[in-house]
This record gives sequence, structure tokens and C-alpha cells, in this order.
Amino acid sequence: MDSHDFHKLLLSRGTFFCYSGLLSEEVLTAISSIVREQVTDIDHDEDLTTRVFGIFIEQAQNIIRYSEERLAEGGIGTVAIGHTNEGFVVEAINPMNSDNVLTLKENLNELQQMQPKDLRKAYKQRLREGPPEGSKGAGLGFIDIARKSSKFEFDFVESPELLFVLKAWIVP
Amino acid sequence: MHLEATNRTPEVSISESSLEMKGECYPEDISAFSEPILESLEEKLEPCDSFSVSLELRYFNSSSAKFFFDFFEVLEQAAEDGKSISIEWRYRSSDNSMKEAGEDFEEDMEKADYKLVEI
Repeated sequence: MDSHDFHKLLLSRGTFFCYSGLLSEEVLTAISSIVREQVTDIDHDEDLTTRVFGIFIEQAQNIIRYSEERLAEGGIGTVAIGHTNEGFVVEAINPMNSDNVLTLKENLNELQQMQPKDLRKAYKQRLREGPPEGSKGAGLGFIDIARKSSKFEFDFVESPELLFVLKAWIVP
Repeated sequence: MHLEATNRTPEVSISESSLEMKGECYPEDISAFSEPILESLEEKLEPCDSFSVSLELRYFNSSSAKFFFDFFEVLEQAAEDGKSISIEWRYRSSDNSMKEAGEDFEEDMEKADYKLVEI
């Protein structure tokens, strides 16, 4: 793929923000205000744009904490935000350890089946119980993404290293 | 105690009888942000009879949710100990996420006077 094709691909997907490389909390500080500005510039519905922004933050922090490819204080990965007629898409890709595939798959499958009121309950329950073993945050990130998104999909891709892909749609 | 707002943290003011917080909350290091606030809150609550809290958040991330949960637990405990605790969770009328978050925290407050305020 040459540069022109790459640019066309981004345009065709409505990608207005894409970051690929080392994500650390420092990098997130530098890019989050730009993302916030861009998202609110595209749509003036604050409830919608705050959900898009919130999902972006959770996706970025997942890469920082859990990407299998580590560098200094962060992880390597890609996070992109697109906007089309239908709404916003936030997607994240990062290398992962194959040992965690089963647990992650079960966890995300379960969240996909849940209704908004059940997600709300799950969020509160997790808050009360505290983070599960192996969590580097509050263990709420995926529940939060499921709550804030209209729908989400995930995939595990051998490329040849194992990649975790998570895509969340936010529509008005 | 007064903390100016940053891109990732809200403005926080704590006096002898009140605490105000306003802005966005997704700190680089949640412990570094939350521990001094919880410490100061407990210190102010100890000698007082009544304490009021006003929170006006536009966004907080999932790591900060745990901090707010602990924060409200401290306040509810003080109310159970007989202190008069009033809390205002202020949200903008268009902001459904923050309204829901306010309702989620409200469920655990029994003795403390907790109000959702639409602004």
C-alpha cells in the first residue's frame, strides 16, 4: 500500500484521528485535549461527544496497561476515531498474550449480551467488589465501554503476533 | 487545600466545612490525585458537626469511579457517626452520563443528604 492508498483508506473510513505507537499516560495527556476538541467540533451533542471521548480514554488506557508489547512506561498499540453519517467509531488494536484470550473472550461475550440496566448493575457490583485479579485499574474499563457505546465488536487476529481488536460504535 | 484544574483533573477546594470539585477527572496517576483529597477530607470531617460537598463533573474515567466510590463511603460513614452531611451532585441537563453516574452513587447514600441538581 502506498501513501496515497493509506490516505484514501483513512478518508473512506471517516478517520479524523489515528495514533499508532507508544501510548503512555504522558502521551495521552498530550493527545487527549486534541481529541476532545476535534470530537466536540464535529458534533455539538455534548452527551454523545462525552461518550466518544470516554470510550477513547478507556481504549487508550487499555493499551497503556495491557498491551503485550511494552516500552518504558507504556504499551504499543493503535487507537483511531472515525466519523460517518451513522455516528462515531472508536477502535483500538494492540498485541496481546494468547494466555488471556479465553478469559477476555468470555468476559466480552457476556458484556455484549447484557442490556443497559444489567450493565449498570455490573458496573456498580464491580465498584463495590473492587478490581479482579490481574487488573491494573478498577476493572471497570470494558463495562464502561459497553455502557457508553451503542454496540461493540472484538476480534483476535494472528498477524503473525496475536492482536486484540476492539471496535465501539457511538450513534446518536 | 486548593488544587487548580488541569486538562485531566478537576478544580478542588476543601475548607473547614465544605468541599467543592468541578471539571474533568481522568488523572495520569489516580492514587497521587485521590490520596491527598481523601486524607484532607477525613481530617476536616473529624472535628466538624456539619459538612457540605458540591461536585460538578463533566467526565470521569473508570479508574476515577473507584475514587468517587471511596469518597462517598467516607461521607456516608461520617453521616452514620451522627454528622450532618449534605452532598450536591450537579449535572448539566443535557448530560445523561453524568446524571446516571450521580444516580448510581445516590443508591448507597442513606444517612447523608444527597441531592441531584440539574443545572
